[in-house]
Amino acid sequence: MKFDLVIAGVGGQGNILASQVIAKCAMDAGYNVVNTETKGAAQRGGSVLSHVRIADGEIYSPLVPQGQADILLGFEPLEALRYINMLSKNGTYIINTAPVPTILSNLKVDEYPSQEQMLAAIQEKGISGHFINATQAAKDLGNVLNTNVIMLGAFTAISDILPADTILNKLLSMVKPKFHEGNIKAFNCGRTMIKA
Amino acid sequence: MQKQFMLGNEAIARGAVESGVKVVAGYPGTPATEIVDHCASNPGVYAEWSTNEKHAFEVAAAGSLTNQRSMAVMKHNGTNAAADFLMHINFTGVKAGLVLISADDPGGLSSQCEEDTRILIHNYAHVPVFDPSSVQEAYEMTKAAFELSEKTEVLFALRPVMRINHAGGMVTYDDEAKPETRKADFVIDRSRYVMSAVVEKELGGELRPKMRHRWLNEKQVELKAIMEESPFNWAEAGEGEVGFIGCGIGYAFLKEAEQIFGKKLPILKLSTLPLPEKKVLDFVKGLKKVVVFEEVEPVVENLIKELCFENNIALEILGRDTYLPKEGELSAGFVLTAIENVLAGKPYPDGENKYIPARTRTQCTGCSHRGLLTALKEVVKKNGGVVTGDIGCHDAGTFEPMKLQATIYCMGSSIPMAYGIKAAGFDKPTYALIGDSTFFHNGLTGLASAIFNKADVTVIIGYNSTTAMTGFQPHPGSSNNLTQEGLKPMDPGVVAAAMGAKVFRCNPYNVEETIKVITEATAQEGVKVVVAEALCYLKFGREGKISYTPRTVTVDQEVCNGCSICVRTFGCPAITIVDKKATIDTSSCNGCGVCISVCKRGALK
Ligand code: SF4
Ligand code: SF4
Ligand code: SF4
Repeated sequence: MKFDLVIAGVGGQGNILASQVIAKCAMDAGYNVVNTETKGAAQRGGSVLSHVRIADGEIYSPLVPQGQADILLGFEPLEALRYINMLSKNGTYIINTAPVPTILSNLKVDEYPSQEQMLAAIQEKGISGHFINATQAAKDLGNVLNTNVIMLGAFTAISDILPADTILNKLLSMVKPKFHEGNIKAFNCGRTMIKA
Repeated sequence: MQKQFMLGNEAIARGAVESGVKVVAGYPGTPATEIVDHCASNPGVYAEWSTNEKHAFEVAAAGSLTNQRSMAVMKHNGTNAAADFLMHINFTGVKAGLVLISADDPGGLSSQCEEDTRILIHNYAHVPVFDPSSVQEAYEMTKAAFELSEKTEVLFALRPVMRINHAGGMVTYDDEAKPETRKADFVIDRSRYVMSAVVEKELGGELRPKMRHRWLNEKQVELKAIMEESPFNWAEAGEGEVGFIGCGIGYAFLKEAEQIFGKKLPILKLSTLPLPEKKVLDFVKGLKKVVVFEEVEPVVENLIKELCFENNIALEILGRDTYLPKEGELSAGFVLTAIENVLAGKPYPDGENKYIPARTRTQCTGCSHRGLLTALKEVVKKNGGVVTGDIGCHDAGTFEPMKLQATIYCMGSSIPMAYGIKAAGFDKPTYALIGDSTFFHNGLTGLASAIFNKADVTVIIGYNSTTAMTGFQPHPGSSNNLTQEGLKPMDPGVVAAAMGAKVFRCNPYNVEETIKVITEATAQEGVKVVVAEALCYLKFGREGKISYTPRTVTVDQEVCNGCSICVRTFGCPAITIVDKKATIDTSSCNGCGVCISVCKRGALK
């Protein structure tokens, strides 16, 4: 068994927490786990890619090799596009469609691609996956900071590598009790967003 | 034996603590920072953040001379700063095990440059280096380094790369390890620890530096023999006449590529300097070609070329100097591409470059630096002055949209460069922008130099009470150090005044006041220091300490004409222009109110 996951997002979106939850669950289940984050000199609002590698045998590289990831979770569409080549041809993605503009696109130095352009460029790769507006869903549930929890819930709907309730319980064990209720709602919401 | 998931830096700290390390000193720098924090949490270990890497190294070395195992921790730029001391401790040798951690950042993911400290540490200083290929090995090598350093009386270095420091993996470690406690004992031995051009009578009047150089050269024989037996180097048999050499993390990527490739390749894993020469010679026997994968310069590649030349071996040796890209970090994809192309006799292909809009770095929403940068920009817009920059969160002010600092080099460069521009005859004002941690690291001597040389320069110190960029480590201007709370902070303004500078103060959240103070300072002659004092929002905001009164800022849609100055020249990420009007994203705005003074129309309230 070998499972490679990459999570692409913007610093501050909580993708590192999401990757830690999955890594810890896999460890509890007795797997070998290696993870790392690649953040440019850019932790303040920059581009962040988390790698989680799970296997029952030896894992050598802390980085998921390009074209080998089983799942890409894109917390932001431009970041998903940036790292779409990480995904294997047989892989799957879940991409949050809510854009976070870059500084340079705000300044019109760069053009932030339109939603259609990004989705088309991603679909062009011929890899199947899901687009969900996790940010909007989190806002609707009352806390935009739960976008990562929605994505985590959505992840459990497409992967059976770890049981969903194991992941939820691990998440809850890592956050303050006063956030539990919101987290449970967001997690379940993420699950249903994929099924729908 | 126990098994636990650890970050590379935690594994290194664990290895050091198990080895009985007593003195650990460093200066924060990505990717090495967390090692010191992890050591500090162990009772019985003296750990400190020194003001710079040279001093950290000196503190650790003194620990070793006092018969306690010690470790100095830094990133590659820091090792440059400590190079002077490195070139002396290699001549004297050490007493108790002394380990230098010099973390490299191939690709320059979090640094001003990419470099390979193996060249400085091994090729130049002749100090042995371990280059770990995994988190597990980082732990094991740290322990081995302490043992061997003590045995050989030579400093040992561990050169982990970012992908080791910041990778997490399962580490099998020794739960039984009980670090021995030994008596701190400083035995004076001037013949060794006094590095001076004195004559050694017993040696026929030879000068000490030459004699100690000979000692170091003779040590290489012993070190080579150790590396020949080292468990960190080995060969793996495989098919074909092309061999592959993986150094450090290069080995990990090579194994990964081999798995993907589905074929056993002849592989030599090399993780030590000096090289195990016999192992290399055995490996290349019968091969036509070898490819060396290393981060990031062709250090091992060139050593193998020399070795083959000396031994009359005709072998094609490919690596960073020949064939592979000369810059940037390795990855499994990089290695896979190289293997496929070498076997097919093709050149390494040029990468496809498809630009995806970049996400550049900026300050946090609510950061005081944005006010400071805005004010300084206003001033230089009027007087045509030049701002030299330094290292820290404020250095993002160099890029869009601020585009303020004209230079960024290394720690402490800003002050000498700012007055150097004047010394060269530049007739407009110059400003050096430096953070508080950097000021204590290497700014003090630059300031002394400016005052001593009667410079005419304005130095601006962003005093936010922490080393924010690396994750909020304390420094002499903070109210605590690594282990104890409640110190009296050394105020950079008081220090600068004592040195003879004219000192001014302002609150950078107040842009008008800051402009006024910088303008006043500029008008004076000599060395002026403006201390812009406000707590780092990200660190102290979490602790409920904020240097401004938070307010809800709104856009008056009637007044806003969409000029976008608040976005184009100020650039708080919470502000965007939607339908030709400024919009504030309430979920990311921290209510610092700095933007209010940026909108000259008064649309922000
Ligand atoms: S970490 Fe602190 S100093 Fe750095 S950008 Fe954020 S608020 Fe500013
Ligand atoms: S808020 Fe002020 S600065 Fe920003 S676009 Fe409107 S008028 Fe221009
Ligand atoms: S929008 Fe204005 S008040 Fe809000 S964080 Fe940015 S500068 Fe401060």
